[in-house]
Amino acid sequence: MDELTNISQITYQLFGYDLVFNVETIMMTLIVMGLLLVFSFFATRKIYIIPHSVQVVAELLVNLFWDLTKDTLDEEMAKKYFPLIFSVFLFVVCSNWLGIIPKLGEPTKDLNTPLGLGLLGFVIAHYSGIKAKGIGGYLKEYCEPIFFMVPLNIIGELAKVVSISFRLYGNIMGGAIIILVVSNLVYSFVLPPVLVMFFGLFVGSIQAFVFTMLTLVYISLQVK
Amino acid sequence: MFETIDYVQASLFFGAGVSMGFGAVGAGLGEGYAAGMANEALSSRPEKSGEVIKNMLVGQAIAESAAIFALVIAMLLLFSDTSGQPLLKAWAFLGAGLAMGLSAIGSGVGAGLPAGNACIGIVRQPASSNKILTTMLIGSAVCQTPAIFGMVIAFLLLFLDLSAIPLHPGWAAVLGAGLSTGLSAIGPATGEGFATMEAVSGVARHHETNSATNRMMLVGLGVTESTAVYGFLISLMLLFYGFEESHTLTASMRLLGAGVCMGFGGIGPGLGEGLTAASALRWIARKPEDTGTLSKTMLVGMAVAESTGIYALIIALLLIVVI
Repeated sequence: MDELTNISQITYQLFGYDLVFNVETIMMTLIVMGLLLVFSFFATRKIYIIPHSVQVVAELLVNLFWDLTKDTLDEEMAKKYFPLIFSVFLFVVCSNWLGIIPKLGEPTKDLNTPLGLGLLGFVIAHYSGIKAKGIGGYLKEYCEPIFFMVPLNIIGELAKVVSISFRLYGNIMGGAIIILVVSNLVYSFVLPPVLVMFFGLFVGSIQAFVFTMLTLVYISLQVK
Repeated sequence: MFETIDYVQASLFFGAGVSMGFGAVGAGLGEGYAAGMANEALSSRPEKSGEVIKNMLVGQAIAESAAIFALVIAMLLLFSDTSGQPLLKAWAFLGAGLAMGLSAIGSGVGAGLPAGNACIGIVRQPASSNKILTTMLIGSAVCQTPAIFGMVIAFLLLFLDLSAIPLHPGWAAVLGAGLSTGLSAIGPATGEGFATMEAVSGVARHHETNSATNRMMLVGLGVTESTAVYGFLISLMLLFYGFEESHTLTASMRLLGAGVCMGFGGIGPGLGEGLTAASALRWIARKPEDTGTLSKTMLVGMAVAESTGIYALIIALLLIVVI
């Protein structure tokens, strides 16, 4: 069970601060990026009216998310935010699925990755809120419904970042722990692959979808 | 006599048991409700079984995450390093178990309820199943936030360096921190479940009102959640405020009292506001043109229901800061 607490880290000294790099997470993130680049390259290399194999998958996904984005935001806004939403989904789902390959681990198992993505969504949502409503309108939102709700509203906004990132992290980490424990108990016999399918593919895709939808909804709450 | 390490180890095991034991309660209930409703839905239209079962499984997977969080904390507790830990850590591990276990109850129930109603909604309106699923996913994801607060507090209690805090009254502070977040999460999470349930049914009835319903649902859920946020705040204050060493029982009891006060004080308002939001959402979905009036009444009603939670917050703050 040593794998549970075993994290490979490199620490650098910079201006008296410790910079810590989680090597495994960085490697896995790079692998995910590589996979996504390859997928996008083959999906868009030759585009036909009658789509070929990889293009079909890409078109299905793009259609699904385009409809969702259009429903949540307006058509104008959707054009602007769709690339972001779709990339977030592809990145998170690919990260969650990476664990099903032996010797590779999900980058989302490390809290830093979900937290970074959560902060990204938070900053973008608030920036677009300020841009859409102006700084006055944006600040006025915090005084809704009554002015003394200001502290609560600010905490509520910060709680969104905490909840969106810990939800992803907890689920992926939980799945990894369950697989590890069960594999040890049954000496990796029969059960682990089934669990990998359930937690890697099923829970991984649901959580990626939830993460993406919440990012989208938080943006739509700010711009509307 | 026992050594410090014996106490730390004992509380690790007890904390792990509490975390997973309580954590299993809510998820089991919620998933059972979802499965029951799926059966009811299929009895009227058996030919939709594929879609209903897919929806049921997705909903149950979300309800299960609260139990998975509890499992993560229980596993981390079981395999924690006990050597050289101060006696205060024994209390902190117990607090971590309580925070995670108790806070998972409400989230499990809350995330399971909308899944059941979504199954019913899908057999009634198969054409809008995607919109129903989206509303369900967003709502039940928000229902999980209180359990996530519990997990954050449990992580803090597990990994925070507590050596700066004196054992007396530190033990009461860490235990109170666990109880405050854990107990206060039960009500809001269940209440949010009620609200999401009605929003899902509403979208199933009138799918064209889905964006108005979703937006009002998020507003309602945000306000319902506030008592869980208070509980979280009190926990953070108990952990980071910094107390002077004192061997009197009063000093310890006021901190434990603050945690228990906010914990129990958060349950009722959360449930009540959830019911308010549920009724408001039911009618917003049916009459979207009256959203303005309905949401105003909803928010005023919630503000009044919240007042008891605010009383608990004030007493907890007084106990921590003033006395």
